[in-house]
Amino acid sequence: MATRNPADSIRLKNAILRGVYDDNLRIASERQEPKPIRQNSRRKSLVLLLMLSLIAGGLSLTGLFSEKGGEDSHQAFAVATVHQKEQLQPLPTVEIQVPVPVPVPVNTFSATTSYILRPPELSAAEPLDQERLLDYSLILNDDQVRLSSVFGLDVQTIVIDPGHGGKDPGAVGVLKTKEKDIVLDIAKRLQKELRQNGKYNVLLTRDVDTTVSLAERVEFANAGRTDLFISLHVNALPQKRFNVTETYYYGPPSDPETLRLAEQENRSSGMMTKDFENMIKKIGNTFKEQESANLASAIQYSLFTNVKKYDKNIADAGIKIAPFVVLLGVDAPAVLVEISCITKKEEELKLNMPAYREEITTFLTQGTIRYLERRNLHVLKGEENAQEVRRKSS
Amino acid sequence: MPKKSAEKVVDEKLVVGIDLGTSRSAISAINGKKKWVESYVGWPKDFIARKVVGEPILFGEEAVQHRLSLDLYRPLKNGVIKEGTARDEEAVKELIRHLISLVQAKKDAGKIRAVVGVPAESFKVNKVALKKAVAEYADSLLVVSEPFAVAYGVNALDNAMVIDIGAGTVDFCIMHGTVPSEEDQRTVLTAGDYIDQQLFNFLEERYPHSDFNLNMVRRFKEQFSFIGDAGKPVKVDIPVDGRPTTHDITEELKRACESILPALVESTLELIAKFDPEYQDIIRKNIILAGGGSQIEGLAEYLENVLDEYGPSKVRVVEDPLFSGADGALALAQDMPEDYWTDL
Repeated sequence: MATRNPADSIRLKNAILRGVYDDNLRIASERQEPKPIRQNSRRKSLVLLLMLSLIAGGLSLTGLFSEKGGEDSHQAFAVATVHQKEQLQPLPTVEIQVPVPVPVPVNTFSATTSYILRPPELSAAEPLDQERLLDYSLILNDDQVRLSSVFGLDVQTIVIDPGHGGKDPGAVGVLKTKEKDIVLDIAKRLQKELRQNGKYNVLLTRDVDTTVSLAERVEFANAGRTDLFISLHVNALPQKRFNVTETYYYGPPSDPETLRLAEQENRSSGMMTKDFENMIKKIGNTFKEQESANLASAIQYSLFTNVKKYDKNIADAGIKIAPFVVLLGVDAPAVLVEISCITKKEEELKLNMPAYREEITTFLTQGTIRYLERRNLHVLKGEENAQEVRRKSS
Repeated sequence: MPKKSAEKVVDEKLVVGIDLGTSRSAISAINGKKKWVESYVGWPKDFIARKVVGEPILFGEEAVQHRLSLDLYRPLKNGVIKEGTARDEEAVKELIRHLISLVQAKKDAGKIRAVVGVPAESFKVNKVALKKAVAEYADSLLVVSEPFAVAYGVNALDNAMVIDIGAGTVDFCIMHGTVPSEEDQRTVLTAGDYIDQQLFNFLEERYPHSDFNLNMVRRFKEQFSFIGDAGKPVKVDIPVDGRPTTHDITEELKRACESILPALVESTLELIAKFDPEYQDIIRKNIILAGGGSQIEGLAEYLENVLDEYGPSKVRVVEDPLFSGADGALALAQDMPEDYWTDL
């Protein structure tokens, strides 16, 4: 430095000052226009359809309450989602809400559903008992019966999936906050809290900022004995005026197979043996769907009611059904949470505060734990339930 | 260029440089005032405590003294805004408000421009949150990494290396004529607090019946810290069953201070080795120690000795470790062209 002449040193200083200025502009400039991420007509039609689906959802909700008014409201909320799904089927919305344009592997999860049926009496080696099979087919078609309780299934391993990562930043806010960083941080906190809260084995699909493909995530979840799968995301909806929180689970558009299968079984013929394998798959699907819907509703309820305290204008987009690849591919019950909208600047600032992320984590934990507790309750009642169903059928 | 804009600024604005640290935070203002506080913020626990301490909020030494009546926060643990409670974020805000009020002539007098030096690590992780915390009390501000502010202050802008030994972190930063990028910086977590903890453990082992706490241990360190050969034995008074008794802590202090050396030396060598080979010689001759840890006696010589094996080296210590960060930030604030400020 001593050898530098004054002109050089001034030039150097100027360059450095400029650098500091640029750096700070990048950190939190208010002057960068919030660029709409994808603004085209398709986007508009999507919003329209989204509204349509909301209205339809609302209708189905009111319908539900009139038919089972006396129930505990939260319980009803959970069940509502199942009904909502059925009513929504004719609408094309489900197809269009695909934010991940990746080819959907259709039958990935049919391969290894066997672990779901943990009770020893169900092992395929055992001679088939016609009466018992008949029972299960009835259970399958009864919305009031939760398979987890019937089979007494417990939860041991929870996989948390922080979206995006590495080369893929996910949604990016006005202040350049990246979705991948936010969800990774929340995922780590959630892991910690769930570990404290119960004796669950909680795993992350990624615990550093690295690129993980959707297929790898699915593979990771299916390789271990995953019992629950929670994918965390942050939304980017530049056109929306309000912040939005929503939770997704995967539901097949329609399920005539189950019905047909049930009819066959009710006729009780020799076909049952042949269809046994198929039925096991179906049980797996129904199980996954029921539990996913319940988990989604518990998380969404906890997240929304709590975040509303911070942000009165937040919109409850509710529980939605969409064919996200991770939701379809993972064998275990799986949900995808869109925590909030990073494209809202106030929200982005909040998401940058560790304390707010901690709060969000608490809400997510509460939702998950509430779901697990209710499920345990059902498991206890499971025996009774199954007996009752048997009584009905006889 | 810098002179002109600086003079213009003096008339209407209060320009300050702030150094937010784990242990101490300092502010240096254009009006010549320099203040520092221990980075402690405390709120009275209840209304009785409020009456006893007589203030709604306390800072620094005062807060530590009244710690029994206060909810005491040291909000910048390991150099980043401590996670978990909203209170820690609030504490950072209050700390900044307090620092600014210390150098402000009158309340609400003129606009405030600030350059804030934050630990390199927090700069990476939490810059938006920090910036927001500071934004409430300054009209325009810039955030820079702290070792960079030090480097700017001592005019070591090219082919130099700053090692800032703080309480929570040791921050390394190589300067090569540009704003240092993430690769030019490194943070090691064995710093001042680590020495305190080590010393505490060693003393507890050797004098199990003596009563001392981490605070006292920190004072011993700040007063006597050294590495290498002790000039004379270090003796301090520690109560045993309530009676002050002289203890010899020479060996323990030496061991504690030297416990940070391996990581320090390793990171220094690594960072230099990563640098363009042609310039490595120059950097070795231009190493600057800053922060409270730079006051450890014998540290500069020790580092020089180690580096001499690789080639001639020169390690110097900043003149005023307490204010070197704040002064550097202030110099940066003064040199910053007017139009840059108006843009921010």
